[in-house]
Amino acid sequence: MHHANHFYGHAHILAEYCGLDREHPPRINGYLQHGWNVVDGLGAGTPYVPGRPIFVYSEQTRRRAWSMGRRQATVVGAPFLYLLTMRPSVEEEKREGTIWYPFHGWEGQHIAGDHERQVEEIMETERGGPVTFCLYWHEFRNDAVRASYEKYGRVICHGYRGYQWRDTDIDFLDNQLAELRRHKRVASNRLSSAIFHGIAAGCEGAVYGDPMHLDKEHRPTADRIRRSWPELHGKHLDAAAARASALSELGDGYLASPAELRAMLGWTGYYTAQSAETEAVPA
Amino acid sequence: MMEMIGGEMPSFTEDRPRAGGALFGYLADQLPAGADVLVAGPHTDQLIDALAERSAVTCLVRSEPEAIELDARGRTVLCGTLAKLPAAEKYDVVVALDGLDRLCSVEDEQLDWAASLQALKRALRPGGTLLLAVENELGVHRLVDPTTATSAQTDSAWRPLGEFDTKPGNPTRLAGKLSAEGLAIDWLGSAWPVPEAPTLIATPNALQDGPADVLAAVAASAVGSAYVEKAVLSDPRRLAAAAVRGGLGPEFAAAWLVVAHRAPRPAAALALPPVLAGDGPIVEIAPGPDGAWARRPLTGEGEAGPLPTGRLLEELLLGAALRHDLPVLRRLLTGWAAALPETTADNVVVHHDAFAVLDPSIPPQTDVIRRFAQTLLGGGYAHPWPAATDLPTLTSVLHGAAGLPDDVPPVPAEDEIPLPDSRREHEEQLRALRRQIADATSRAQWYERELNKRDKELNKLRKQVALFSGTVSFRVAKIGFGVARKARNRLRKGLK
Repeated sequence: MHHANHFYGHAHILAEYCGLDREHPPRINGYLQHGWNVVDGLGAGTPYVPGRPIFVYSEQTRRRAWSMGRRQATVVGAPFLYLLTMRPSVEEEKREGTIWYPFHGWEGQHIAGDHERQVEEIMETERGGPVTFCLYWHEFRNDAVRASYEKYGRVICHGYRGYQWRDTDIDFLDNQLAELRRHKRVASNRLSSAIFHGIAAGCEGAVYGDPMHLDKEHRPTADRIRRSWPELHGKHLDAAAARASALSELGDGYLASPAELRAMLGWTGYYTAQSAETEAVPA
Repeated sequence: MMEMIGGEMPSFTEDRPRAGGALFGYLADQLPAGADVLVAGPHTDQLIDALAERSAVTCLVRSEPEAIELDARGRTVLCGTLAKLPAAEKYDVVVALDGLDRLCSVEDEQLDWAASLQALKRALRPGGTLLLAVENELGVHRLVDPTTATSAQTDSAWRPLGEFDTKPGNPTRLAGKLSAEGLAIDWLGSAWPVPEAPTLIATPNALQDGPADVLAAVAASAVGSAYVEKAVLSDPRRLAAAAVRGGLGPEFAAAWLVVAHRAPRPAAALALPPVLAGDGPIVEIAPGPDGAWARRPLTGEGEAGPLPTGRLLEELLLGAALRHDLPVLRRLLTGWAAALPETTADNVVVHHDAFAVLDPSIPPQTDVIRRFAQTLLGGGYAHPWPAATDLPTLTSVLHGAAGLPDDVPPVPAEDEIPLPDSRREHEEQLRALRRQIADATSRAQWYERELNKRDKELNKLRKQVALFSGTVSFRVAKIGFGVARKARNRLRKGLK
């Protein structure tokens, strides 16, 4: 339906979970939430085609989407949780140090803030082990930015999320999961998908430091996030509370069986063969 | 033997169903044998015959053709209007299970409810028994009725009073009016689904202190079978169940039945259980010696056994769907598919994780999950899969959620499941259809825009192709391909 469905290889993970071809996921009959957000699950600017479901991570997101006029939000849970069910962790691996996700905007946004001071605060806080910096792909490609972090630790990138169905690194989340499982802590200066994924993958979470607001950012939203999820903000969190909160945001407990998911995404033989005739038939 | 008492209607026959049915039959059977019985108003032949087997029955009817018919069948008949009924206290029992609305003819005085009661009482011997039904103007059958009682156009509706009648509006007031006439209540029950032929009667005590959830399920089932494919304003099953569950069973029952006796003391006491149910074979539902509620057949075949506890699966599923509680919904569906895959959701009660059949006399059904999908869609209920707007897709999703394969064979459209034909649900379906059409229209526009975009891209690419195909290198390559193709074709021919 929309190319954002393929971001981070989400569609590919769901196809694998459903027992279908991971390399060539069928077209999803709707929109897949492609990252944690505090709106209706859709990314800003996604052209929404009416009558199609938005497949969101959590029941809370669904309620929010309904209140914003989205009548067909459907809870499926985060693709990352589906990935976790397929990649059970082998014996507790040796975890050390922290994986740090410096907040980035997307390509069109530019962040302002004091990078130096931020990195100093990180190194001060994460003394327990090495720090790995995980950069967004466009920062990773920028030699200057990469070099500024390489002074302090390992610098990595999980891959390119893809655009217009092209160049999608379908191993993005697999790469992320592997890295997360090597670290004890996951941290960022903003609450984001990476923190939720990290906590779900067994890391301790932390969100601290200058949030590096964007030029034209809506500040009340950022403040609202801090008020709504205080248990996920701070240098050292209450692990149980943070885990419960993070798993709930990812839709833990709401994952569908492969059969149900196939039916929801429009991947059953019946639907793909007859969708044209049945679409407008009421019950 | 027929006696014309005055006010008879020579060319009129009753145009609404007469009071009868298995439960009324059971009540009549409990009356003392050998009594003098007045059956006042239109009752079914079956009921009258059953009474006549054990007692001396006199029928009071206003329609002369019906009186003639009764006479021909060997009954003693008084034909005429209630106001002319002799006040002789000569009956041990008066049966008025049709209520008091059809006792006065068009001739003579039009007695209201209280005056009609007085007239019947005067026919009763001291200590005599009155078996009376009172329709509830706010009963579930009225609340879902698409027609207006006050503008009825039938021949019998020469005074369509509806809720403007003076009859008592709840069991307490009914008891008050009876006692004002010197009639003491021995037993009172609330009846569903319709006043003229109830299939469930429960006492206020049973509804108050009994297993409300299961009784609600029994009420819903009684109402459901009466309203199959009947036009209604809204689904009467939900109304009946919600009322019983909420402690408002008597207030919203279709009718109240009383067994009362004329003071000072009853000549014969009727022993009736807290709950009577059934359309053919009758069962009683009552607490056993250990306090646990049990079901025991009173007539016909059937097995006695404990009454299952818990709530109706259908209501639990709908509740979980409305709450968007997917984990609970999936657990219920999975448990149901594993435990009772051939019992419809409106015949299963669930207590914790135990699934039990509510009415064992209903034969096994197929397609139970599809039926529930139809309930969800037909009733316009909110559920966690709002984009699944057609029955096959939703059925397939529900199968998946129940841990069954998602590939559901399509079922022919004519194999629809009969449900109450509800106006409110029609409205909802209309709204849903309008939305689907609006969505489809804007989707079509979106596709057109996308198509335009792709066409433009294609045109651009074609031009580029045309441009490149004019170059020398392209021509050389083209000639090369041509030679190669010819060579291949030759080779192929040569091989043949």
